Amino acid sequence: MKNDLWVEKYRPTSIKEVIGNEEAKTLFTEWIENKRSTKKAVLLYGPPGVGKTTLVNAAALEYNFRLIEMNASDARSEKAVNRIALPATSFAGLDKFSSEIKGNMLFLDEVDGIAGNEDRGGVNAIIKIIENTHAPVIMAANDPDLEKLRPLKKICLLIKFQQTRIPLIIMALKKICEQEQIMYEFEALEKIAINSQGDVRSAINDLQGLSEEGKTLTVQDTLALGLRNRNIDMYDALRGYFTAKSVVEAASFLNSSDVEFDDLLMAISDNMPRRYTDTVELAKAYDYLSQADVFRGRVGTENWHLIKYFFNNLSQVATVNPESYKHFEFITAPPIKVHTLFWTKAKRTTLNSICAKIGNQCHVSKYEAKMIYVPYLRLMLQQKKKTSTQLIEWLKLTPEEVTVLTSLKMF
Amino acid sequence: MVMLNKNGFKLPRVEKEKFTLLIRLGLEYNSQKMLFKIKHYNNINQLQSVLRDILKTEITFTQTCTICGTDFGCSTCKYTKFCPTKDQPFSCICNQCLRPKKVMQQQLIF
Repeated sequence: MKNDLWVEKYRPTSIKEVIGNEEAKTLFTEWIENKRSTKKAVLLYGPPGVGKTTLVNAAALEYNFRLIEMNASDARSEKAVNRIALPATSFAGLDKFSSEIKGNMLFLDEVDGIAGNEDRGGVNAIIKIIENTHAPVIMAANDPDLEKLRPLKKICLLIKFQQTRIPLIIMALKKICEQEQIMYEFEALEKIAINSQGDVRSAINDLQGLSEEGKTLTVQDTLALGLRNRNIDMYDALRGYFTAKSVVEAASFLNSSDVEFDDLLMAISDNMPRRYTDTVELAKAYDYLSQADVFRGRVGTENWHLIKYFFNNLSQVATVNPESYKHFEFITAPPIKVHTLFWTKAKRTTLNSICAKIGNQCHVSKYEAKMIYVPYLRLMLQQKKKTSTQLIEWLKLTPEEVTVLTSLKMF
Repeated sequence: MVMLNKNGFKLPRVEKEKFTLLIRLGLEYNSQKMLFKIKHYNNINQLQSVLRDILKTEITFTQTCTICGTDFGCSTCKYTKFCPTKDQPFSCICNQCLRPKKVMQQQLIF
């Protein structure tokens, strides 16, 4: 009984049999049936074990496509992609005319895993293939927000997969138990389904691991299952974090988030004025946030033992007054700081060049020029005194630099 | 709290910007029936949040049982505490169909 993996044995062979995500399934089948009229490729994304790969396999069987698959175990450099995927999508096989096979279907699983030197140029090669393909190109990823996937997202139809709901998982487990003739307590299946956190694959694996032939599966048997640790994205992390009622709860959301610490810090900072409308609460929250920022700086790249203080202070931010929580719309990305830096880049570059010129003439550092000389220079230029023209000539400032300098409000 | 049907619900008149945002987030508008319908579910969290702002109250969507087809609310489900898509319009199974009783083999979805 235990020789075959149940996840393979009971893998759905038709789209209808795939559990959950009905809305995603409908969108996907519409895309295939309409011969990819909207976009040439589709990117299925969502947490692991929710049926992305299963759906593609089932669709290939149902619509008679030959599935050409490249997954994380294959090298996906430009060369490898062009060697395998390019012929598969450029030419029609001869058997297309003699059999029921409609042609090839290219499936690139775990595209978010394309990284490093061995996969160099992979994403660009995939984009070229999508632009010229005659066959359906399907990709799957867990995290679509990665920077390297941005060009791919632009040319793909995006279909999000949600975690499978518990009742659907229980139903699937029941069906397997009946087929494998395993006696079970309903509560045991409930426990396995809850523990899986929406991951059907792990639920089936747990069921196989716990069940024994001729023995009833009880709740007692499931006690050994620990809660799976799942990574949550920025939106879910912020939602859970700001609605937390205790420091421990807030910390658990921070711990289970896969977002970079600095991004998290900036996102929380951006959302705080929306969360705390009372100024006293907001001040207290910013106080905790600044302490968290201090510890983030101290952690650096080696003092990881200090990270607990960072998390502790950050968790305090969310729970200054849990009672005052009212729903608000989160700002997720990009952080306001990054946004501001982007818009002021030209101005900062010009200011840097001005400081360099001042530094050259006055024999001071750029920093000193910026902090000490620029405020006076700005005032002098704004008041348009006689000496201003001489100063501009002496410092060899361009008209653009003068405009930036006079329009400076603060820096 | 307001319960909306994902296949068609009415909203009060909204500004042009808000309407555009709703469409961008995945809603579809049937001008003849004057009903909104969810077309894409990729931005369901944000969509739910915008609808909450428009209706100025908590919102929940009706769930449709994939076995018997009846509509029900998440409030009747005992797993909401563990459900990451609580109150969102995704496929589910109602309590009656899930209860440990004899289920017709052909009704099983797996």
